Amino acid sequence: MLSFGLVDAQPAVFFEELSVGQEFTSPGRTVTESDIVIFAGLSGDYNVLHTDAEHMKASIFGERIAHGLLGLGIQQGLASRGEPAAAHGLLSALKWKFKGPIKIGDTVHVRSRIAGKRDGPDSGRGLVTVERRLVNQRGEVVQEGETEHVVERRKP
Amino acid sequence: MNGAAVLPAQCYFEDVEKGVPLETPGITLTAAHVTLFSGVTGDAALRDPGVVPDLLPLCLSSGLGWRVPRPPLAVLAFMGFEWRFLGPVRVGDTIHSVSRTLTKRSMREGGVIIEERGIVNQRGETVQSGKLTLLVARRPAA
Repeated sequence: MLSFGLVDAQPAVFFEELSVGQEFTSPGRTVTESDIVIFAGLSGDYNVLHTDAEHMKASIFGERIAHGLLGLGIQQGLASRGEPAAAHGLLSALKWKFKGPIKIGDTVHVRSRIAGKRDGPDSGRGLVTVERRLVNQRGEVVQEGETEHVVERRKP
Repeated sequence: MNGAAVLPAQCYFEDVEKGVPLETPGITLTAAHVTLFSGVTGDAALRDPGVVPDLLPLCLSSGLGWRVPRPPLAVLAFMGFEWRFLGPVRVGDTIHSVSRTLTKRSMREGGVIIEERGIVNQRGETVQSGKLTLLVARRPAA
């Protein structure tokens, strides 16, 4: 029996329950042409990189590629299905690198690790730093970075 | 393609001026933006009602950047960025972005620019801001 059918319903996890070094792997997701078209329409970013198949035949990529920020958004969605809820709470900061293209038909997943914990903006919340890598079907890291989240502390 | 084809105007690495502020038009955030964005990203994170997904304003700013009084930047690749989330953005808020180029560095295939960008709401509050690193094409030889 496959065990990753309904991982969305993660129980809430508080700051105290996350520990540095914990690792998580998300389900995979195949990025489609539709994803890119919808994202172009939503964002208004119609750069030829993402929308002109003929132009891209002559580029180093050979075809249209996903918007970097679409990959980041998909990463965020996958992480929300692969990490405890607290680890992808309210974002406070982000450092991100786009390392390689995501092409139509690529299947990506997220590998993440709790990298740090410190005091937050008030006594009721802490800050958690998560290292995340977006990995394709060939094991290549296409995007990576650090996300920092505001996480509720357990009520005393 | 024949040699007479007229290419649309683009802003190449050589054309980018440091320090010149560029302000985009605004866009009002709607429930439709939230639904489409949540659908395409699959972001299931819990958030307060009416607050838009953290990454939505940045994504919209990339499209707003095409609507400034300058030809579109000839971006070859978005290399990376650092970003801070300073305050909540809600459905009904109207945001625009303000940016300027901080540094330019020439490379073999083009040039790298670092752009500072802020997302500003209808009250003039900067709700998100950061620095983006972009690889921009050189002007093709005539």
